[in-house]
Amino acid sequence: MTLSSSLILASGSSPLDHVIQHPLVTKPMDLGFPLTPNGEITIFSDHIVMLITAGLILMLIVPALVRKRQGKDEIGQMVPTGFANFFEAICQYLRKEVAEPALQEHTDRFIKYIWSVFFFVLTINILGLLPIPAISALFGTHLGGAATGNIFVTATLALLTMLMMVVNGLRLGGKHYLAHFCPGPIALAPLLIPVELIGLVAKIFALAVRLFANMMAGHVLLAVLVSFILTAGTSMGTVGGLAVAVPVVIGSVAINLLEIFVAFLQAFIFTFLTTLFIGMSVVFHHDEHHEEAHAH
Amino acid sequence: MIRIVVSLTALSVFSSRALAAGGEGSPNPFSGDVGNAIWTLVIFGFVLIVLGKFAWGPILGALQKREDFIRDSLEKAKNDREEAEARLKEYSDKIETARSEATAIVEEGRRDVEVVKRQIEEDAKKEADAIIDRAKREVGLATDTAVKELYDLSARIATEVASRIIRKELSPKEHERLISESIEELAKEISRN
Repeated sequence: MTLSSSLILASGSSPLDHVIQHPLVTKPMDLGFPLTPNGEITIFSDHIVMLITAGLILMLIVPALVRKRQGKDEIGQMVPTGFANFFEAICQYLRKEVAEPALQEHTDRFIKYIWSVFFFVLTINILGLLPIPAISALFGTHLGGAATGNIFVTATLALLTMLMMVVNGLRLGGKHYLAHFCPGPIALAPLLIPVELIGLVAKIFALAVRLFANMMAGHVLLAVLVSFILTAGTSMGTVGGLAVAVPVVIGSVAINLLEIFVAFLQAFIFTFLTTLFIGMSVVFHHDEHHEEAHAH
Repeated sequence: MIRIVVSLTALSVFSSRALAAGGEGSPNPFSGDVGNAIWTLVIFGFVLIVLGKFAWGPILGALQKREDFIRDSLEKAKNDREEAEARLKEYSDKIETARSEATAIVEEGRRDVEVVKRQIEEDAKKEADAIIDRAKREVGLATDTAVKELYDLSARIATEVASRIIRKELSPKEHERLISESIEELAKEISRN
């Protein structure tokens, strides 16, 4: 098998082939439409490999980074060194600029979750940009890809956000949190409560779809661009293929750079919205002020 | 946004082409199932637990410790500065007091000197006046003595002249000569004294 023919094979018939999940081990199981749309459950797949890789990278690298301190004495212990500076700057930015305005006194209670979400999503997004699928295709298998381009992955993370909202809202807010679901007069409760519940679900739905669609779209765009070369190559010959390849490669590089930015941006947006939503569930100062203002 | 629209358009074009080609297995963009969700939960759970224990805990601890350290240092610096300012004010006040005390002492000294000077002047003047008075008194006494002596002399001369006249009968010419001699003698006597 020549390199070009394997690339053509790898390209498949649709650019989606590069983006969607390729199950490696499946088991027949029918749990209904949303859970098992194909009547089978994925035990192992390229996306799962990426999830595991992201998890391992984080679990191995981050604790090592944390230990990079300038000295052993009291002051030296407080000063990060080398790459740990960069890492700690991101952590502190998320804590001070993102979490604290939304979570206020609850910041340090949730910051571990928020940091985990950000770095988990970011690592998966960035790993998804590596050209692993194209390389693994040469060996007749399919690995790599962006796991955040999988709606089940993003939906799970979004549902965890919802869980954090509801559980902590009830735990820390109690009846204040429940009162959120009926912000108007009690007579309007039958109307307001469903609207608020829909609002809660819509937030989570949007959170899941936003990350999924953004990661999917970028990868599809790249796949479409690259497929132009193969299409031109097969229909117009080698010269035509090469002629198309030049602008396509330049465009792909540009889109790839954009995708690096998008990887960070979407990880940030997901984290930011998660923080905001949790903050809306556990911080009640605003409402109290409003009530006081009304009372006066 | 444009990126997503372009991608989705391309996606729909390719998907319709795949469908037209009779592809039963045309790729579904929503590929995946609950298996992915379980894996995500498990891996994210591991990440949360492991990083929570070995990364986020120490980082959060270090950040909080550093914040506290910075706040403490700033507070200490502020307190130190306030204390230093208070001390400075105290010393400035002390210097000011010392200066005014010194001025008062100098002023008092000057006043004392003035008093002593005036006293000395007054004493001197008084003494001088006394000396002058004494001198005047002595001069007056001397004058009185002189006058008295002059009277005595005149009387003596007059007595002598009279006795001489009586002893000799005198011609009027001699009379005159005797009188003028006596006067001359008297004048000589006065000038001698």
